Amino acid sequence: MFSRTSRTGPTRSSEALRLVKVTKVYGSAENAVTALDGVSLSLPAGSFTAVMGPSGSGKSSLLQCAAGLVRPDGGLVMVDGERMTGANEAELTKFRRRRIGFVFQQYNLLSTLTVAQNTVLPLKLAGRRIDRARTQEILTQVGLGDRLGHRPDELSGGQLQRVAIARALVTEPSLIFADEPTGALDLRSARDVLRLLQEAVRVHGRTVVMVTHDPVAASYADSVLFLADGRLAGRMTAPTVDAVAERLAHLGDAVGTRDNDMPMEV
Amino acid sequence: MFALAMRSIRQRPGRFLATLVAAFLGAAVTMTFNSMHDTAGATNIDHASSETLRLTGGVVGGYGTLLVFFAIASTLTVNVRQRGEEIELLRCIGATPAQIKRMVVGESVMVALVGTLLAVFPAMLGGQALLGMFQDSGQVAEGVDYAFGPIALTAGFTVTLVASVGAAFLAVRRATRAATGGRAPRNRLRNFAGIMALVAGTGSVCATFASDAKNPALMAAPAYGAIMLSVGFATFSPTLLRVLLGWLGRPIAARAGASVYLTVHNMRQRSVQLAGVLMPLVLFTGLAAATLYMQAIENDAIKASGLTKSVEAKNLETLNLVVVGIVVVFACLMLINSLYAATSYRGQEFGRQRLAGATPGQVLAMVGAEGLVLTVTGVFFGTVAGIAGILPFNLIRTDSALPDQGLGIWLGIVAVAAAATLITSLATACRTLRTPAVAAVTVAA
Ligand SMILES: Nc1ncnc2c1ncn2[C@@H]1O[C@H](COP(=O)(O)OP(=O)(O)OP(=O)(O)O)[C@@H](O)[C@H]1O
Ligand SMILES: [Mg+2]
Repeated sequence: MFSRTSRTGPTRSSEALRLVKVTKVYGSAENAVTALDGVSLSLPAGSFTAVMGPSGSGKSSLLQCAAGLVRPDGGLVMVDGERMTGANEAELTKFRRRRIGFVFQQYNLLSTLTVAQNTVLPLKLAGRRIDRARTQEILTQVGLGDRLGHRPDELSGGQLQRVAIARALVTEPSLIFADEPTGALDLRSARDVLRLLQEAVRVHGRTVVMVTHDPVAASYADSVLFLADGRLAGRMTAPTVDAVAERLAHLGDAVGTRDNDMPMEV
Repeated sequence: MFALAMRSIRQRPGRFLATLVAAFLGAAVTMTFNSMHDTAGATNIDHASSETLRLTGGVVGGYGTLLVFFAIASTLTVNVRQRGEEIELLRCIGATPAQIKRMVVGESVMVALVGTLLAVFPAMLGGQALLGMFQDSGQVAEGVDYAFGPIALTAGFTVTLVASVGAAFLAVRRATRAATGGRAPRNRLRNFAGIMALVAGTGSVCATFASDAKNPALMAAPAYGAIMLSVGFATFSPTLLRVLLGWLGRPIAARAGASVYLTVHNMRQRSVQLAGVLMPLVLFTGLAAATLYMQAIENDAIKASGLTKSVEAKNLETLNLVVVGIVVVFACLMLINSLYAATSYRGQEFGRQRLAGATPGQVLAMVGAEGLVLTVTGVFFGTVAGIAGILPFNLIRTDSALPDQGLGIWLGIVAVAAAATLITSLATACRTLRTPAVAAVTVAA
């Protein structure tokens, strides 16, 4: 059901994510909202990309379509060179399990499970073997090695988000999406979380795509994609805090002038 | 706060549907049976007719009303508990605990009143039909006119209002305390009420022995006893279940698949929510077992005594079963109603599981496994409560230690309980799963 692309296409090792003319429309007929309007992009493996744009510009929709959490209305999503074409939710879920980790702003941990149980849940659900030592190692890595038996309601926001990151890392996915992972955190916890994401890229060679409103958070990434009205509105490599803030401020002006049909090469 | 209560009802009618259905059905059953008292109160009625009507109103109306009380209270408790987040939000934007209490209690008063008003007309029709059956079988004289009066209305409004307000008050008090105190309250009141229910149930069952075999209301005491014991067991069964799962859970969870793993952890952690679902399940099994077996024993005893002609005995048998059947069907509907409400609230939890990598099939398997554990637990405790009512009744009525009715009725009850539990929870979960996972976790459904 998941067809491999031909060998002439980008190889698995070089391209982690490719979107081709992805569109997403919410609602129907009169009150339809076009959240994504033909977005095309390609991200190399081992890259750390931030996605920025005004509220309602389609950032979350982009991440959810790319992660297979939401089915796009048109276009093509390829992860690791494999086309994402699950016929139903179960198939999409199985496709995601091995390739994609997702970190949410609202954590989405299960309140009835402990930190350790939450972390290994994706493995358990996938029927994979659970290595106690590995769980301990991953949680130690995110600074929660002594909190294995705690429940989510006994942790702070920053700690919860680190559990969520551990959960996203545990399946060793090649792609990790994070939707405003630092949105609810204080500066220090935010920095911890960003360092963890950075480490996933630098040390473990994973690809991270992160939505954020914060220029400081964006400066941790290798490049920033700007989104406006459901379309790509520019890109910046080696972002600095000031440059990102400056660009965001003028994003409104850029919307009307650029050519939308050109696929963005990133 | 009252305006807020009204608005919250108008904005989210769905949330109140379960309590409205409970109040409606409960009031309808209560008023139907209690209108027999009103009918019996007519001036020109003959003694035998009046006797039959009062007996039905007193015995079936009596334990029916008791059942309605607990059924409504348990549905309301589940409803308020599920709104913990909303209550927490109100607290955060500056509502005092007293204001929140007034809002939640105000809502439940509104819902109980509306449910009871809606039930008046159906109860009149039901009462009329019941009287018709008594007349057809010759138990009540043809000339007796149906009356729906103060006794039916008082019973209907009192039981729904007292059950709703009481349960809403206790549940919201618990919710606001948990929100402000951080630590969950220690359930002292609940444990005390559970023990009282067990004591009252045991007392009521024992009271059967004080009665003699000819007493036409012999069935009342053991039926009350079975209901009270069911309530007591339902209060403590989640705790027992948690202890049991604490012992067996780890080895089971380690070996079984992800769905059973989630089931075990869920059931150990959510014992309070489980109590809300176990209550109607234990009540249904306990009440159905007690009343259906007692009626069967009674019918056989009438037949054996040979006092009535066989045609008449047949009619009486059918009539008795219909009367008892109404209450049993009510208990079953309440079971379905609360399971539907409890499951439809879990969309967010299911959404989180799906986002963590659970397929819809795995979520359903988890719900199914939970349903199975619930059924086994509920049927077990319900059966114990039922037997506690049946044995004394049988001893007094027939002078034999064990009833000679077979396991057929019990198997039927178990089949209905299992089917109602599994079909309702699976069908509701299926419906919930139609919402995309991302949407399910954001809307606090
Ligand atoms: N489930 C939905 N149903 C209807 N419309 C939706 C839905 N989700 C998003 N939208 C609409 O699609 C557009 C893009 O939403 P999206 O959530 O992707 O924006 P965003 O860039 O993530 O915004 P924010 O920064 O506020 O999170 C918005 O106009 C939004 O109203
Ligand atoms: Mg968003």
